[in-house]
Amino acid sequence: MRILLSLAFSLLLALPVHALDGEALLLQIDRNLNPETYESYRKLVNIEPDGRSREYVLFTVKKGLDKVASLFISPASEKGRSTLRLGDNMWLYMPGVGRPIRITSLQSVVGGVFNNSDILQLDYAAEYNVEKVEETGDGYLLHLRAKSRGVAYDRVRLWADREALLPTRIECLTETDMLIKTLHFREVKDFGGGIVRPSIIETDSPLYQGYRSIMIFAGIRERTLPDEVFTQTFMPNLESLR
Amino acid sequence: MVGCAAGTMRHGMGKVTKRPGWPSWLLPAVFLLPALAPAAPADEFSFEVAEFARKPYHIGGYAELRPVLFGLDTDAALHHLRFFDRDEGGTTAEYNGRLQFEASLEKGIGRLFARVNTDYSNSYLGESVEAVFYDGYLSLKPSPSLVLEAGKKNLRWGTGYAWNPVAFVDRPKDPDDPELNREGFIVATAEMIRSLAGPLQTFSLAPLVLPVDGDVNDDFGESDHLNFGGRLYVLFRDTDIDLLFLTGGSRGSRYGMDFARNLTSNFEVHGEFALLHDVRKRVIDSAGDIAEQEEDAGSWLLGLRYLTAAETTWIAEYYHNGAGFSREEMENYFTLANRGYEVFQATGDDGLLRRMRDLAEGYGRMNPMRDYLYLRASQKEPFDILYVTPAATAIVNLADGSFSLSPEILYTPVTNLELRLKGSWLNGGSLSEYGEKQNDWRFELRLRYYL
Repeated sequence: MRILLSLAFSLLLALPVHALDGEALLLQIDRNLNPETYESYRKLVNIEPDGRSREYVLFTVKKGLDKVASLFISPASEKGRSTLRLGDNMWLYMPGVGRPIRITSLQSVVGGVFNNSDILQLDYAAEYNVEKVEETGDGYLLHLRAKSRGVAYDRVRLWADREALLPTRIECLTETDMLIKTLHFREVKDFGGGIVRPSIIETDSPLYQGYRSIMIFAGIRERTLPDEVFTQTFMPNLESLR
Repeated sequence: MVGCAAGTMRHGMGKVTKRPGWPSWLLPAVFLLPALAPAAPADEFSFEVAEFARKPYHIGGYAELRPVLFGLDTDAALHHLRFFDRDEGGTTAEYNGRLQFEASLEKGIGRLFARVNTDYSNSYLGESVEAVFYDGYLSLKPSPSLVLEAGKKNLRWGTGYAWNPVAFVDRPKDPDDPELNREGFIVATAEMIRSLAGPLQTFSLAPLVLPVDGDVNDDFGESDHLNFGGRLYVLFRDTDIDLLFLTGGSRGSRYGMDFARNLTSNFEVHGEFALLHDVRKRVIDSAGDIAEQEEDAGSWLLGLRYLTAAETTWIAEYYHNGAGFSREEMENYFTLANRGYEVFQATGDDGLLRRMRDLAEGYGRMNPMRDYLYLRASQKEPFDILYVTPAATAIVNLADGSFSLSPEILYTPVTNLELRLKGSWLNGGSLSEYGEKQNDWRFELRLRYYL
């Protein structure tokens, strides 16, 4: 499937820039970032202006366009917490509180610059339409607009590398083009199974001057899971998938 | 641990006369802790999955210290009931410690889980230690769509934050601290889950049995009954909906439903409705005669959560407790407590006061009346101060206008350490719920370290 998609996209690239199919380009970028259905381990690091840092380790599973679940496995104060996203619906399960509670995409379960929507990221093509594609010196600039009001950012500017078709930088904006945050994609790594993608996403924000948040990927692999894993009821049992 | 003598261990250690405090260096040391937090190397971040490989066992929990200072209301009815035979002055201190320890062991489709809570308290009553199994159950998961569990467990039904009228098989939450773990009941449950395409996205069915016999669930209700209940959950058109019931004889049959839905990405609404049959309560009239009443009652809750652009989270809930006491019933109780105190002062006869104390299980419980409003505002990291969350909570008794107001500040100076400073101010007129509480204010510090 990946080979077919790549072939189809190579044919598209042969067309002049003004005829570029932005939606197909975005779909290919999504697939190059992650398989449609996968599991991953990530470390989130929040760095304060004075250099002190907090770290969180998450195990994440995703299926299809709109199902993502994450489990905190470190530190001890967060261990066992899990988050679930089904489209625009998000829940947080805290072992002490019991019943999963609804949370919003704009909150952050870890503090720092990453919000819940960044941590439980769906495919960009699932949340955004491509308004315009520009060709830059070494790649493409995609102008994206949210498909619904439930999406965290109204507009997104995505720069992608021409050869690898992977994002290098993403700017998240309000409807009035005010910059909320910038994601920088770094250190492309071969994770095996044909997955070659940036292993570090760093973010900064004019709203959090001096603060940085970093997401480090240590393992991504394709994995098929039943739909029942992505339910509120299964949230206390996510650990059993590891 | 499953099914053993209600799964609880309780030990009283008697009274001691000495009241040990804690070292004076403890508080300043906590504020210096941030200096010990790790500094991030310039651009070096290592992450090896092997460090976090799954183990067949898990051990964790937290240790907590919580000193509390109470400002006593020496004219209040509940102060008279508790302190009529002793003089504690205008303030009294309490030193609390807690060790909550949890462990799990997994093999194949099976998992054993236990959580033990041990509370230490040193107050005007003396010193005590109490250890209780909050949870202890065996879980079998033959497939992701079926989970079988048996043992002592918290089910935590309901979508409300401060109260849960549909939580038919849970101990009540403390609205002053709703996120605390609580002791469960011994149950056997099965949960079947289906995920579907279309407007009905998720469907799950969870029947349960809850025995009450001898030492098993002896504080749940009438003994020698096998109670049945269940929960049907659906996620329908982005709305969580539960239908719940419990029947079997230990308590009157009860039926309920709850819902929760995000109206926008920052605005959530939720609600619960419960119909309770044959709710029993002991009521004292103005002449001091006690009658046991049994009646049907409806309870419900409506609430919302709202996140502002400035990252202030608002939680508001209205709660109607149909099984609660009316204003007149509460006023009778407080009036008789005050009269009992006058009789004791005049004659030394404490008979009426002791009768009133016996009724405290009903009248003295948290939020015993019928209509309440809960309002909480918390601000994430104000003025860009990371890891600090100030909040304020108000609980208003709508029948008598009395209320409690509790500002707090939560700070996590280093990973796994939480520091919470909280005050509470209780206000209300004569014969009102908060006006007749034993204290006017309280001030507490909570240090919690996760293991």
